[in-house]
Amino acid sequence: MNALEVVDVKKTYKDKVAGRPVEALKGVSFSIKPGGIFGLLGPNGAGKTTLIASITTLEEPSSGDIRVFGDSVLSHPLKTKMKVGVVHQEVINTGFFSVSEILDFQSGYYGIYKNKERCDYLMQKLSLYEHRHKKVKQLSGGMKRRLMIAKALVHSPKLLLLDEPTAGVDVGLRESLWKFVYELKNEGVSILLTTHYLEEAEQMCEQVAIINKGELLYNGTPKNMIADYSQKKMILTMKNGNVHQFTESQKLGISDVLAKHHVDINQIQDIKIEEGRLEDAFSKMVAL
Amino acid sequence: MIIFFTLVRREIKRFLKVVIQTVISPVISSFLYLLVFGVSLGSSVQLKSGIPYLSFLIPGLMVMGLINNAFQNSSSSVVTSKFSGDLEDIRVAPIPHSYIVWAMGLGGIIRGSLVAMVTGLVGMAFHYMQLSEFLWIKHPALLLYFFITGGLMFAFLGIFVAVLANTFDQLSAFSSFILLPLTYLGGVFISIESLHPAWQFVSKLNPLFYLINGFRYSMLGESDIGIGSSILVTLTGVAVTFAMASFSLKKGSFSRW
Repeated sequence: MNALEVVDVKKTYKDKVAGRPVEALKGVSFSIKPGGIFGLLGPNGAGKTTLIASITTLEEPSSGDIRVFGDSVLSHPLKTKMKVGVVHQEVINTGFFSVSEILDFQSGYYGIYKNKERCDYLMQKLSLYEHRHKKVKQLSGGMKRRLMIAKALVHSPKLLLLDEPTAGVDVGLRESLWKFVYELKNEGVSILLTTHYLEEAEQMCEQVAIINKGELLYNGTPKNMIADYSQKKMILTMKNGNVHQFTESQKLGISDVLAKHHVDINQIQDIKIEEGRLEDAFSKMVAL
Repeated sequence: MIIFFTLVRREIKRFLKVVIQTVISPVISSFLYLLVFGVSLGSSVQLKSGIPYLSFLIPGLMVMGLINNAFQNSSSSVVTSKFSGDLEDIRVAPIPHSYIVWAMGLGGIIRGSLVAMVTGLVGMAFHYMQLSEFLWIKHPALLLYFFITGGLMFAFLGIFVAVLANTFDQLSAFSSFILLPLTYLGGVFISIESLHPAWQFVSKLNPLFYLINGFRYSMLGESDIGIGSSILVTLTGVAVTFAMASFSLKKGSFSRW
Protein backbone atom coordinates (compact mmCIF):
# COMPACT_ATOMS: atom_id res chain seq x y z
CA MET A 1 0.00 0.00 0.00
CA ASN A 2 1.33 3.42 -0.92
CA ALA A 3 1.80 6.08 1.72
CA LEU A 4 0.24 8.63 -0.60
CA GLU A 5 -1.56 8.33 -3.89
CA VAL A 6 -2.52 11.41 -5.83
CA VAL A 7 -4.89 10.40 -8.62
CA ASP A 8 -5.65 12.82 -11.46
CA VAL A 9 -6.17 15.76 -9.13
CA LYS A 10 -7.51 18.92 -10.68
CA LYS A 11 -8.12 22.17 -8.88
CA THR A 12 -9.74 25.18 -10.45
CA TYR A 13 -10.53 28.35 -8.57
CA LYS A 14 -11.74 31.77 -9.53
CA ASP A 15 -9.12 34.48 -9.65
CA LYS A 16 -10.53 37.17 -7.36
CA VAL A 17 -8.79 39.99 -9.22
CA ALA A 18 -9.23 38.93 -12.83
CA GLY A 19 -12.52 37.14 -12.18
CA ARG A 20 -11.61 34.24 -14.47
CA PRO A 21 -11.06 30.59 -13.59
CA VAL A 22 -7.48 29.50 -12.91
CA GLU A 23 -6.35 25.89 -13.16
CA ALA A 24 -3.99 25.45 -10.22
CA LEU A 25 -3.68 21.68 -10.75
CA LYS A 26 -4.26 20.04 -14.11
CA GLY A 27 -4.68 16.35 -13.43
CA VAL A 28 -1.68 15.59 -11.23
CA SER A 29 -0.97 11.92 -10.42
CA PHE A 30 1.85 10.30 -8.46
CA SER A 31 2.38 8.01 -5.52
CA ILE A 32 4.80 7.76 -2.62
CA LYS A 33 6.05 4.48 -1.25
CA PRO A 34 6.06 4.04 2.53
CA GLY A 35 9.21 5.08 4.36
CA GLY A 36 10.75 7.19 1.63
CA ILE A 37 11.52 10.84 1.07
CA PHE A 38 9.71 12.29 -1.92
CA GLY A 39 10.57 15.72 -3.29
CA LEU A 40 7.84 17.80 -4.88
CA LEU A 41 9.68 20.46 -6.82
CA GLY A 42 8.56 23.37 -8.89
CA PRO A 43 8.93 27.13 -9.29
CA ASN A 44 6.82 29.56 -7.28
CA GLY A 45 3.15 29.30 -8.16
CA ALA A 46 3.58 25.84 -9.69
CA GLY A 47 0.81 24.31 -7.56
CA LYS A 48 2.86 22.62 -4.81
CA THR A 49 1.16 24.35 -1.91
CA THR A 50 -2.27 23.85 -3.49
CA LEU A 51 -1.52 20.15 -3.72
CA ILE A 52 -0.40 20.00 -0.07
CA ALA A 53 -3.51 21.97 0.90
CA SER A 54 -5.59 19.38 -0.96
CA ILE A 55 -3.89 16.49 0.84
CA THR A 56 -4.56 18.15 4.19
CA THR A 57 -8.15 19.12 3.22
CA LEU A 58 -7.47 22.83 3.45
CA GLU A 59 -8.55 22.85 -0.20
CA GLU A 60 -11.02 20.55 -1.88
CA PRO A 61 -9.91 19.27 -5.30
CA SER A 62 -12.26 20.01 -8.19
CA SER A 63 -11.86 16.38 -9.28
CA GLY A 64 -9.64 13.36 -8.70
CA ASP A 65 -8.78 11.60 -5.48
CA ILE A 66 -6.03 11.58 -2.86
CA ARG A 67 -5.43 8.50 -0.73
CA VAL A 68 -3.31 8.28 2.41
CA PHE A 69 -2.37 4.70 3.23
CA GLY A 70 -5.36 3.54 1.21
CA ASP A 71 -7.98 5.92 2.65
CA SER A 72 -9.41 8.74 0.59
CA VAL A 73 -8.97 12.19 2.10
CA LEU A 74 -12.24 13.16 0.45
CA SER A 75 -14.42 10.38 1.86
CA HIS A 76 -12.54 9.67 5.13
CA PRO A 77 -10.92 12.98 6.09
CA LEU A 78 -10.85 12.38 9.85
CA LYS A 79 -9.18 8.99 9.40
CA THR A 80 -6.52 10.27 7.00
CA LYS A 81 -5.78 13.36 9.10
CA MET A 82 -4.69 11.12 11.97
CA LYS A 83 -1.96 9.72 9.73
CA VAL A 84 -0.69 13.02 8.38
CA GLY A 85 1.50 15.69 9.93
CA VAL A 86 2.03 18.95 8.09
CA VAL A 87 4.53 21.76 8.35
CA HIS A 88 3.08 24.75 6.57
CA GLN A 89 5.15 27.11 4.52
CA GLU A 90 4.31 30.22 6.50
CA VAL A 91 5.70 30.52 10.00
CA ILE A 92 3.19 30.46 12.85
CA ASN A 93 2.80 33.53 14.97
CA THR A 94 0.52 32.54 17.83
CA GLY A 95 0.56 35.33 20.36
CA PHE A 96 -1.09 33.83 23.43
CA PHE A 97 0.58 30.55 24.25
CA SER A 98 3.97 29.16 25.18
CA VAL A 99 5.81 26.45 23.25
CA SER A 100 4.76 23.69 25.67
CA GLU A 101 1.14 24.89 25.73
CA ILE A 102 1.03 24.87 21.94
CA LEU A 103 2.31 21.29 21.80
CA ASP A 104 -0.14 20.29 24.52
CA PHE A 105 -3.07 21.73 22.55
CA GLN A 106 -1.78 20.20 19.34
CA SER A 107 -1.73 16.77 21.02
CA GLY A 108 -5.29 17.33 22.19
CA TYR A 109 -6.41 18.12 18.64
CA TYR A 110 -5.39 14.57 17.76
CA GLY A 111 -7.18 13.09 20.77
CA ILE A 112 -4.03 12.56 22.83
CA TYR A 113 -4.31 13.45 26.50
CA LYS A 114 -1.15 13.86 28.57
CA ASN A 115 1.40 13.63 25.79
CA LYS A 116 4.19 15.13 27.86
CA GLU A 117 6.75 12.43 27.13
CA ARG A 118 6.42 12.79 23.36
CA CYS A 119 6.32 16.61 23.54
CA ASP A 120 9.41 16.71 25.77
CA TYR A 121 11.20 14.33 23.40
CA LEU A 122 10.39 16.51 20.40
CA MET A 123 11.35 19.71 22.21
CA GLN A 124 14.67 18.19 23.23
CA LYS A 125 15.27 16.78 19.77
CA LEU A 126 14.56 20.13 18.15
CA SER A 127 16.44 22.19 20.77
CA LEU A 128 13.28 23.84 22.02
CA TYR A 129 13.19 22.41 25.55
CA GLU A 130 14.98 25.31 27.16
CA HIS A 131 12.55 27.67 25.42
CA ARG A 132 9.41 25.73 26.37
CA HIS A 133 8.01 28.52 28.56
CA LYS A 134 8.54 31.22 25.95
CA LYS A 135 5.69 32.54 23.86
CA VAL A 136 5.97 32.17 20.09
CA LYS A 137 6.61 35.87 19.55
CA GLN A 138 9.73 35.55 21.74
CA LEU A 139 11.20 32.85 19.48
CA SER A 140 13.59 33.40 16.60
CA GLY A 141 12.57 32.48 13.06
CA GLY A 142 14.51 29.22 13.25
CA MET A 143 12.90 28.26 16.56
CA LYS A 144 9.46 28.93 15.10
CA ARG A 145 10.28 26.58 12.22
CA ARG A 146 11.38 23.91 14.66
CA LEU A 147 8.23 24.42 16.68
CA MET A 148 6.18 23.88 13.54
CA ILE A 149 7.97 20.59 12.95
CA ALA A 150 7.39 19.55 16.57
CA LYS A 151 3.69 20.37 16.20
CA ALA A 152 3.45 18.26 13.09
CA LEU A 153 4.97 15.29 14.92
CA VAL A 154 3.15 15.24 18.26
CA HIS A 155 0.79 12.50 17.09
CA SER A 156 3.55 10.43 15.45
CA PRO A 157 2.16 10.66 11.89
CA LYS A 158 2.99 8.05 9.29
CA LEU A 159 3.15 10.65 6.54
CA LEU A 160 4.87 14.00 7.05
CA LEU A 161 4.32 16.88 4.65
CA LEU A 162 7.02 19.54 4.72
CA ASP A 163 6.15 22.60 2.68
CA GLU A 164 9.43 24.46 2.22
CA PRO A 165 10.55 23.83 5.79
CA THR A 166 13.94 25.49 5.27
CA ALA A 167 12.76 28.69 3.57
CA GLY A 168 14.64 31.59 5.15
CA VAL A 169 16.55 29.31 7.49
CA ASP A 170 20.32 29.60 8.03
CA VAL A 171 22.73 26.89 6.88
CA GLY A 172 23.38 25.41 10.31
CA LEU A 173 19.72 24.98 11.10
CA ARG A 174 19.02 23.59 7.64
CA GLU A 175 21.60 20.91 8.18
CA SER A 176 20.19 19.96 11.57
CA LEU A 177 16.65 19.89 10.20
CA TRP A 178 17.62 17.58 7.36
CA LYS A 179 19.44 15.35 9.80
CA PHE A 180 16.26 15.10 11.82
CA VAL A 181 14.24 14.39 8.68
CA TYR A 182 16.60 11.50 7.93
CA GLU A 183 16.05 10.15 11.42
CA LEU A 184 12.31 10.28 10.88
CA LYS A 185 12.71 8.43 7.61
CA ASN A 186 14.73 5.77 9.40
CA GLU A 187 11.90 5.46 11.91
CA GLY A 188 9.62 4.60 8.98
CA VAL A 189 7.91 7.95 8.45
CA SER A 190 7.10 8.70 4.81
CA ILE A 191 8.02 12.24 3.89
CA LEU A 192 6.87 14.55 1.15
CA LEU A 193 8.84 17.74 0.98
CA THR A 194 8.84 20.78 -1.19
CA THR A 195 11.97 22.88 -1.35
CA HIS A 196 13.70 25.42 -3.53
CA TYR A 197 17.08 24.01 -2.55
CA LEU A 198 17.49 21.51 -5.35
CA GLU A 199 20.90 20.41 -4.19
CA GLU A 200 19.28 19.25 -0.97
CA ALA A 201 16.47 17.53 -2.82
CA GLU A 202 19.06 15.71 -4.93
CA GLN A 203 20.82 14.44 -1.81
CA MET A 204 17.75 13.67 0.28
CA CYS A 205 15.04 12.37 -2.01
CA GLU A 206 14.76 8.90 -3.44
CA GLN A 207 12.08 10.15 -5.77
CA VAL A 208 11.15 13.56 -7.11
CA ALA A 209 8.23 15.00 -9.02
CA ILE A 210 8.46 18.23 -10.96
CA ILE A 211 5.36 20.33 -11.18
CA ASN A 212 4.97 23.52 -13.18
CA LYS A 213 1.86 25.58 -13.90
CA GLY A 214 -0.26 22.85 -12.35
CA GLU A 215 1.13 20.07 -14.55
CA LEU A 216 3.28 17.17 -13.50
CA LEU A 217 6.34 17.24 -15.75
CA TYR A 218 8.40 14.47 -14.24
CA ASN A 219 8.14 11.71 -11.67
CA GLY A 220 11.12 9.48 -10.98
CA THR A 221 14.49 9.26 -9.30
CA PRO A 222 16.77 12.30 -9.21
CA LYS A 223 19.45 10.19 -10.86
CA ASN A 224 17.27 9.37 -13.85
CA MET A 225 16.10 12.94 -14.10
CA ILE A 226 19.69 14.16 -14.22
CA ALA A 227 20.49 11.55 -16.81
CA ASP A 228 17.49 12.44 -18.94
CA TYR A 229 17.48 16.20 -18.67
CA SER A 230 20.95 17.47 -17.84
CA GLN A 231 24.32 17.38 -19.56
CA LYS A 232 27.78 16.79 -18.28
CA LYS A 233 30.71 18.97 -19.14
CA MET A 234 33.99 17.34 -20.13
CA ILE A 235 37.14 19.48 -20.13
CA LEU A 236 40.16 17.91 -21.87
CA THR A 237 43.65 19.29 -21.46
CA MET A 238 45.82 17.99 -24.27
CA LYS A 239 49.54 17.30 -24.09
CA ASN A 240 50.16 20.14 -26.54
CA GLY A 241 48.47 22.58 -24.12
CA ASN A 242 45.18 22.91 -26.00
CA VAL A 243 41.97 22.70 -23.96
CA HIS A 244 38.76 21.20 -25.40
CA GLN A 245 35.40 21.47 -23.72
CA PHE A 246 32.47 19.24 -24.65
CA THR A 247 28.94 19.32 -23.25
CA GLU A 248 27.22 16.02 -23.75
CA SER A 249 24.37 13.88 -22.56
CA GLN A 250 24.77 12.30 -19.15
CA LYS A 251 24.11 8.97 -20.78
CA LEU A 252 27.30 9.03 -22.86
CA GLY A 253 30.41 7.49 -21.34
CA ILE A 254 33.91 9.03 -21.66
CA SER A 255 34.89 6.77 -24.51
CA ASP A 256 31.67 7.60 -26.37
CA VAL A 257 32.39 11.32 -26.10
CA LEU A 258 36.01 10.91 -27.20
CA ALA A 259 34.94 8.78 -30.15
CA LYS A 260 32.23 11.22 -31.11
CA HIS A 261 34.70 14.12 -31.21
CA HIS A 262 37.56 12.04 -32.74
CA VAL A 263 39.91 12.70 -29.82
CA ASP A 264 43.02 10.59 -29.63
CA ILE A 265 43.16 9.26 -26.10
CA ASN A 266 46.97 9.16 -26.20
CA GLN A 267 47.15 12.95 -26.66
CA ILE A 268 45.17 13.67 -23.48
CA GLN A 269 47.03 14.93 -20.46
CA ASP A 270 44.07 15.53 -18.11
CA ILE A 271 40.28 15.03 -18.06
CA LYS A 272 37.89 16.93 -15.85
CA ILE A 273 34.21 15.99 -15.76
CA GLU A 274 31.50 18.17 -14.28
CA GLU A 275 28.48 15.97 -13.80
CA GLY A 276 25.00 17.30 -14.50
CA ARG A 277 23.02 18.43 -11.49
CA LEU A 278 19.38 18.23 -10.57
CA GLU A 279 19.27 22.01 -10.76
CA ASP A 280 20.32 21.92 -14.43
CA ALA A 281 17.76 19.23 -15.21
CA PHE A 282 15.08 21.17 -13.34
CA SER A 283 15.87 24.42 -15.17
CA LYS A 284 15.77 22.67 -18.51
CA MET A 285 12.52 20.90 -17.74
CA VAL A 286 10.73 23.95 -16.41
CA ALA A 287 11.91 26.04 -19.36
CA LEU A 288 10.59 23.50 -21.90
CA MET B 1 -14.07 14.07 23.93
CA ILE B 2 -10.38 14.89 24.44
CA ILE B 3 -10.44 16.88 21.20
CA PHE B 4 -13.54 18.82 22.22
CA PHE B 5 -12.27 19.65 25.69
CA THR B 6 -8.89 20.67 24.29
CA LEU B 7 -10.66 23.20 22.09
CA VAL B 8 -12.72 24.46 25.03
CA ARG B 9 -9.63 24.64 27.25
CA ARG B 10 -7.83 26.61 24.56
CA GLU B 11 -10.73 29.05 24.25
CA ILE B 12 -10.86 29.67 27.99
CA LYS B 13 -7.08 29.94 28.41
CA ARG B 14 -6.96 32.37 25.51
CA PHE B 15 -9.34 34.88 27.00
CA LEU B 16 -7.92 34.46 30.50
CA LYS B 17 -4.47 35.37 29.18
CA VAL B 18 -5.84 38.82 28.37
CA VAL B 19 -8.30 39.08 31.23
CA ILE B 20 -8.04 42.86 31.51
CA GLN B 21 -9.21 43.26 27.94
CA THR B 22 -11.73 40.42 27.92
CA VAL B 23 -13.36 40.55 31.34
CA ILE B 24 -12.32 43.52 33.46
CA SER B 25 -12.74 46.17 30.77
CA PRO B 26 -16.36 45.22 29.84
CA VAL B 27 -17.23 44.98 33.54
CA ILE B 28 -15.94 48.53 34.08
CA SER B 29 -18.09 49.71 31.14
CA SER B 30 -21.14 48.08 32.71
CA PHE B 31 -20.24 49.60 36.08
CA LEU B 32 -20.20 53.06 34.49
CA TYR B 33 -23.54 52.44 32.74
CA LEU B 34 -25.04 51.42 36.09
CA LEU B 35 -23.59 54.43 37.83
CA VAL B 36 -24.60 56.99 35.21
CA PHE B 37 -27.89 55.63 33.91
CA GLY B 38 -29.05 53.46 36.77
CA VAL B 39 -28.06 55.44 39.81
CA SER B 40 -27.71 59.05 38.66
CA LEU B 41 -30.32 59.40 35.93
CA GLY B 42 -32.42 56.39 36.90
CA SER B 43 -34.11 58.09 39.84
CA SER B 44 -35.79 60.55 37.46
CA VAL B 45 -37.05 57.83 35.07
CA GLN B 46 -40.51 56.48 35.77
CA LEU B 47 -41.52 53.28 34.02
CA LYS B 48 -45.20 52.56 33.38
CA SER B 49 -44.81 49.15 35.00
CA GLY B 50 -43.69 50.84 38.19
CA ILE B 51 -40.38 48.94 38.33
CA PRO B 52 -37.45 51.09 39.52
CA TYR B 53 -35.27 51.98 36.53
CA LEU B 54 -32.18 50.53 38.18
CA SER B 55 -33.91 47.14 38.53
CA PHE B 56 -35.01 47.41 34.91
CA LEU B 57 -31.53 48.28 33.71
CA ILE B 58 -29.56 45.48 35.42
CA PRO B 59 -30.87 42.56 33.29
CA GLY B 60 -30.42 44.64 30.13
CA LEU B 61 -26.78 45.37 30.96
CA MET B 62 -26.22 41.75 31.83
CA VAL B 63 -27.50 40.71 28.39
CA MET B 64 -25.34 43.35 26.76
CA GLY B 65 -22.28 41.98 28.57
CA LEU B 66 -23.22 38.42 27.71
CA ILE B 67 -23.81 38.85 23.99
CA ASN B 68 -21.01 41.31 23.29
CA ASN B 69 -18.45 39.13 25.01
CA ALA B 70 -19.76 35.87 23.59
CA PHE B 71 -19.59 37.41 20.12
CA GLN B 72 -16.17 38.92 20.67
CA ASN B 73 -14.77 35.74 22.15
CA SER B 74 -15.50 33.54 19.18
CA SER B 75 -14.89 36.20 16.54
CA SER B 76 -11.55 37.26 18.01
CA SER B 77 -10.57 33.61 18.42
CA VAL B 78 -11.18 33.01 14.71
CA VAL B 79 -9.56 36.25 13.62
CA THR B 80 -6.41 35.86 15.72
CA SER B 81 -6.18 32.27 14.52
CA LYS B 82 -6.40 33.50 10.95
CA PHE B 83 -3.51 35.82 11.62
CA SER B 84 -1.36 33.35 13.46
CA GLY B 85 -2.07 30.33 11.28
CA ASP B 86 -3.71 28.38 14.13
CA LEU B 87 -6.87 27.99 12.12
CA GLU B 88 -4.95 25.92 9.56
CA ASP B 89 -3.72 23.67 12.38
CA ILE B 90 -7.25 23.12 13.58
CA ARG B 91 -8.46 22.51 10.04
CA VAL B 92 -5.81 19.89 9.23
CA ALA B 93 -6.38 18.05 12.52
CA PRO B 94 -9.09 15.38 12.74
CA ILE B 95 -11.60 17.72 14.32
CA PRO B 96 -15.26 17.65 13.21
CA HIS B 97 -16.69 21.09 12.48
CA SER B 98 -19.37 20.58 15.10
CA TYR B 99 -16.66 20.34 17.80
CA ILE B 100 -15.18 23.67 16.73
CA VAL B 101 -18.58 25.33 16.71
CA TRP B 102 -19.65 23.96 20.10
CA ALA B 103 -16.26 24.58 21.72
CA MET B 104 -16.24 28.19 20.60
CA GLY B 105 -19.87 28.44 21.67
CA LEU B 106 -19.00 27.17 25.12
CA GLY B 107 -16.00 29.51 25.31
CA GLY B 108 -18.33 32.38 24.39
CA ILE B 109 -20.88 31.41 27.05
CA ILE B 110 -18.20 31.20 29.72
CA ARG B 111 -16.65 34.57 28.97
CA GLY B 112 -20.01 36.24 28.33
CA SER B 113 -21.50 34.76 31.51
CA LEU B 114 -18.51 35.83 33.56
CA VAL B 115 -18.96 39.43 32.45
CA ALA B 116 -22.75 39.26 32.81
CA MET B 117 -22.57 37.75 36.29
CA VAL B 118 -20.06 40.28 37.57
CA THR B 119 -22.24 43.02 36.04
CA GLY B 120 -25.25 41.48 37.77
CA LEU B 121 -23.46 41.33 41.14
CA VAL B 122 -22.28 44.93 40.85
CA GLY B 123 -25.81 45.91 39.82
CA MET B 124 -27.27 44.10 42.81
CA ALA B 125 -24.86 45.93 45.10
CA PHE B 126 -25.96 49.25 43.60
CA HIS B 127 -29.56 48.12 43.89
CA TYR B 128 -29.18 47.43 47.60
CA MET B 129 -27.39 50.71 48.22
CA GLN B 130 -29.89 52.75 46.20
CA LEU B 131 -33.17 51.05 47.02
CA SER B 132 -32.30 49.31 50.29
CA GLU B 133 -33.56 45.98 49.06
CA PHE B 134 -32.02 42.92 47.45
CA LEU B 135 -32.75 42.16 43.84
CA TRP B 136 -33.78 38.54 44.07
CA ILE B 137 -33.83 36.45 40.90
CA LYS B 138 -37.43 35.40 40.31
CA HIS B 139 -36.82 32.48 37.93
CA PRO B 140 -33.24 31.14 38.23
CA ALA B 141 -33.79 28.17 35.88
CA LEU B 142 -35.13 30.46 33.17
CA LEU B 143 -32.22 32.80 33.70
CA LEU B 144 -29.83 29.91 33.16
CA TYR B 145 -31.67 29.03 29.96
CA PHE B 146 -31.28 32.57 28.63
CA PHE B 147 -27.62 32.66 29.65
CA ILE B 148 -27.03 29.53 27.60
CA THR B 149 -29.13 30.42 24.55
CA GLY B 150 -27.99 34.05 24.47
CA GLY B 151 -24.32 33.11 24.84
CA LEU B 152 -24.51 30.38 22.24
CA MET B 153 -26.42 32.48 19.73
CA PHE B 154 -23.86 35.27 19.73
CA ALA B 155 -20.82 33.03 19.97
CA PHE B 156 -22.07 31.15 16.89
CA LEU B 157 -22.75 34.44 15.14
CA GLY B 158 -19.19 35.52 15.95
CA ILE B 159 -17.79 32.41 14.25
CA PHE B 160 -19.92 33.00 11.17
CA VAL B 161 -18.96 36.64 10.78
CA ALA B 162 -15.24 36.12 11.54
CA VAL B 163 -14.79 33.15 9.20
CA LEU B 164 -16.45 34.96 6.32
CA ALA B 165 -14.81 38.34 7.01
CA ASN B 166 -11.80 39.10 4.88
CA THR B 167 -10.58 42.07 6.88
CA PHE B 168 -10.78 43.54 10.37
CA ASP B 169 -12.82 46.32 8.84
CA GLN B 170 -15.59 43.93 7.82
CA LEU B 171 -15.73 42.45 11.30
CA SER B 172 -15.79 45.85 12.90
CA ALA B 173 -18.51 47.00 10.46
CA PHE B 174 -20.73 44.12 11.57
CA SER B 175 -20.29 45.06 15.22
CA SER B 176 -20.89 48.75 14.64
CA PHE B 177 -23.70 48.68 12.08
CA ILE B 178 -25.62 45.57 13.06
CA LEU B 179 -24.82 44.30 16.54
CA LEU B 180 -24.69 47.61 18.36
CA PRO B 181 -27.99 49.04 16.96
CA LEU B 182 -29.75 45.72 17.59
CA THR B 183 -28.52 45.77 21.19
CA TYR B 184 -29.57 49.33 21.91
CA LEU B 185 -32.88 49.03 20.07
CA GLY B 186 -33.60 45.68 21.66
CA GLY B 187 -34.49 47.32 24.96
CA VAL B 188 -31.35 47.35 27.08
CA PHE B 189 -32.07 50.87 28.30
CA ILE B 190 -35.72 51.36 27.38
CA SER B 191 -39.04 49.62 27.62
CA ILE B 192 -40.97 49.45 24.35
CA GLU B 193 -44.10 50.50 26.19
CA SER B 194 -42.74 54.04 25.95
CA LEU B 195 -42.32 53.83 22.18
CA HIS B 196 -44.71 54.75 19.36
CA PRO B 197 -46.66 51.65 18.15
CA ALA B 198 -44.74 51.71 14.87
CA TRP B 199 -41.43 51.48 16.71
CA GLN B 200 -42.87 48.84 19.00
CA PHE B 201 -43.58 46.77 15.88
CA VAL B 202 -40.01 47.29 14.62
CA SER B 203 -38.61 46.32 18.02
CA LYS B 204 -40.53 43.06 17.91
CA LEU B 205 -38.67 42.12 14.72
CA ASN B 206 -35.39 42.31 16.61
CA PRO B 207 -34.45 38.89 18.07
CA LEU B 208 -32.46 40.60 20.81
CA PHE B 209 -35.66 42.14 22.11
CA TYR B 210 -36.84 38.63 23.02
CA LEU B 211 -33.56 37.72 24.69
CA ILE B 212 -33.44 40.91 26.75
CA ASN B 213 -37.05 40.51 27.79
CA GLY B 214 -36.46 36.86 28.60
CA PHE B 215 -33.66 37.94 30.92
CA ARG B 216 -35.79 40.65 32.42
CA TYR B 217 -38.65 38.27 33.06
CA SER B 218 -36.28 35.73 34.64
CA MET B 219 -34.93 38.32 37.05
CA LEU B 220 -37.87 40.62 37.71
CA GLY B 221 -40.91 38.57 36.71
CA GLU B 222 -41.91 41.35 34.31
CA SER B 223 -41.31 41.87 30.60
CA ASP B 224 -42.66 43.58 27.49
CA ILE B 225 -43.49 40.26 25.82
CA GLY B 226 -44.74 36.81 26.79
CA ILE B 227 -42.02 34.49 28.07
CA GLY B 228 -43.12 31.77 25.60
CA SER B 229 -42.17 34.00 22.68
CA SER B 230 -38.79 34.74 24.25
CA ILE B 231 -38.04 31.05 24.72
CA LEU B 232 -39.12 30.17 21.19
CA VAL B 233 -37.24 33.00 19.46
CA THR B 234 -34.00 32.41 21.36
CA LEU B 235 -34.14 28.68 20.70
CA THR B 236 -34.72 29.35 17.00
CA GLY B 237 -31.89 31.87 17.13
CA VAL B 238 -29.50 29.22 18.47
CA ALA B 239 -30.50 26.76 15.74
CA VAL B 240 -30.14 29.33 12.96
CA THR B 241 -26.80 30.71 14.15
CA PHE B 242 -25.47 27.18 14.69
CA ALA B 243 -26.33 26.40 11.06
CA MET B 244 -24.67 29.65 9.96
CA ALA B 245 -21.48 28.91 11.93
CA SER B 246 -21.31 25.35 10.59
CA PHE B 247 -21.85 26.61 7.06
CA SER B 248 -19.07 29.17 7.42
CA LEU B 249 -16.61 26.54 8.66
CA LYS B 250 -17.50 24.26 5.79
CA LYS B 251 -17.41 26.85 3.03
CA GLY B 252 -15.29 29.68 4.42
CA SER B 253 -11.63 30.30 3.90
CA PHE B 254 -9.09 29.08 6.44
CA SER B 255 -6.24 30.85 4.78
CA ARG B 256 -4.19 33.34 6.71
CA TRP B 257 -4.79 37.09 6.66
